[in-house]
Amino acid sequence: MELVVALGLILFKVALLIAILLLLPLPLTWLERKIAGHIQQRMGPMRVGWHGLLQPVADGVKLLTKEDHIPAEADRFLFKLAPILALAPPFVVFVAIPFGESVSVLGTKITLYVSNMNVGLLFVFAVIGIEVYGVIFGGWAANSKYAVLGSLRTCAQMISYEIPMGFAVIGVVMLAQSMSLLDIVRAQANVWNIVYQPVGFFVFFVAGLAEAQRIPFDLAEAEGDLGAGFHTEYSGIRFAFFMVSEYAIMLLTSVLAVILFFGGWNGVLVPLPPLLWFVLKVAFFVYVFIWFRFTFPRYRYDQLMAIGWKVLLPLSMANIIITGVAFL
Amino acid sequence: MSRALDRTGIWIGWAFFADLTNALALTFGYMFSRPVTMQYPDKEKWLPYSRYRGHHFLKRDDEGEIKCVACELCARICPCDCIEVIPYEDEKGNRHPAKFEIDMARCLFCGLCEDACPADAIALGQQYEFSSFSSADLVVGRDDLLGKPGKATTGGGVVAARLNTEQDVLVETSEPQGYNWWRNIRRR
Ligand code: SF4
Ligand code: SF4
Repeated sequence: MELVVALGLILFKVALLIAILLLLPLPLTWLERKIAGHIQQRMGPMRVGWHGLLQPVADGVKLLTKEDHIPAEADRFLFKLAPILALAPPFVVFVAIPFGESVSVLGTKITLYVSNMNVGLLFVFAVIGIEVYGVIFGGWAANSKYAVLGSLRTCAQMISYEIPMGFAVIGVVMLAQSMSLLDIVRAQANVWNIVYQPVGFFVFFVAGLAEAQRIPFDLAEAEGDLGAGFHTEYSGIRFAFFMVSEYAIMLLTSVLAVILFFGGWNGVLVPLPPLLWFVLKVAFFVYVFIWFRFTFPRYRYDQLMAIGWKVLLPLSMANIIITGVAFL
Repeated sequence: MSRALDRTGIWIGWAFFADLTNALALTFGYMFSRPVTMQYPDKEKWLPYSRYRGHHFLKRDDEGEIKCVACELCARICPCDCIEVIPYEDEKGNRHPAKFEIDMARCLFCGLCEDACPADAIALGQQYEFSSFSSADLVVGRDDLLGKPGKATTGGGVVAARLNTEQDVLVETSEPQGYNWWRNIRRR
């Protein structure tokens, strides 16, 4: 009986996570277009539903009913595999993400995470690395020069940014003495890591922007010079997969920034429910992502590489050394 | 401040991303400024200036007689060759057009026909909503042209309007005077 309840709970949590992650891009696209509009003194979507609220639904229907086109010269197997490879890892990662300690419903304590791995952070970085394959395969399989160029850029970009990102979080791990995301949040109960690790956060955030393929680092899908980059040839539902994946990674980066540097669900000053604190912080970071997108132009490719290798990498290493000297 | 100090200031600013922060502050400010969008056709509509060149109209004189003397000068000067005039003579011996057709699909709204007319009979008015699903509908005859609205008197601006799709697509408006949307534009 115990086992059945536990199993059912896990299944329920996973289903809930998947549902939330699949549905969240809808309001996020609406929000993104609204914010974009107002930053540019426009209004954004206004005509479908109240203030365009139903616009994402209309877009979704449009994407689902569009022709799912596969180019004649494409590698059909990889072409079909790529969107799944891009979509699955961001979803899998959320298994290791804690959203809070626990709540008690009907006398049973329900933890607000699916699993508390003691190598949670490592798991996150390992799994999210797989997402890159989706992008690379997608660009390669399409057999189009724009897509391949987009994939090549992604390759280089991911390698040069995952390294500083990995180094940046080592400081956090040193502070918490644990790789478990739960322990990392608990260690921040009094002082958030951002106080000790401003440089680490800076490196993490910039690398996160690059990892999520957002402006100013969205070279893989630079509309201006590459059509749409790696997903130039994708249409319909497969294109939607890439879009959902992109939003999930943006969300993941925000969640990680909150967990690693901004105290997770630990509140400050105002006593709000922990989960609300968590959501508010994540929402703030999501907003920052969108805000950045409509403020900065895209970096040039060589600038991107220079930032990654000449600025972020040394900074993140220096951060580790200083943290080590100061705290160990 | 000396120049050296100035330069250090710039460098310190650069190291702490002063330029990027400025940009973010600017876009944040814009986010809370009033949009300049004109919500046509749902809520708002543009009233043209009096010099606006829209759909042609033919004028009548004081007796209610059509002013056009069918001289065909407008047809001659038209760069698109889109006016066709066939004259007739009435009982008093005055020339008038029996047929006066403008192919709006070809017209480029240059206004040359208005300038060329010796009788001040044709002009380009304020109407700009005459799109159609068939280009044949865009060939407008004499009697339609006589009924078209004349020059605008409003001096431009945006007014509240309502999209009415009950019988036809129609953007209704009741106000004669518009507000100046130009002042909504936020400038640094
Ligand atoms: S406005 Fe110009 S193009 Fe149009 S009918 Fe007159 S002369 Fe021809
Ligand atoms: S509209 Fe004017 S220019 Fe054209 S035929 Fe009539 S009188 Fe002549």
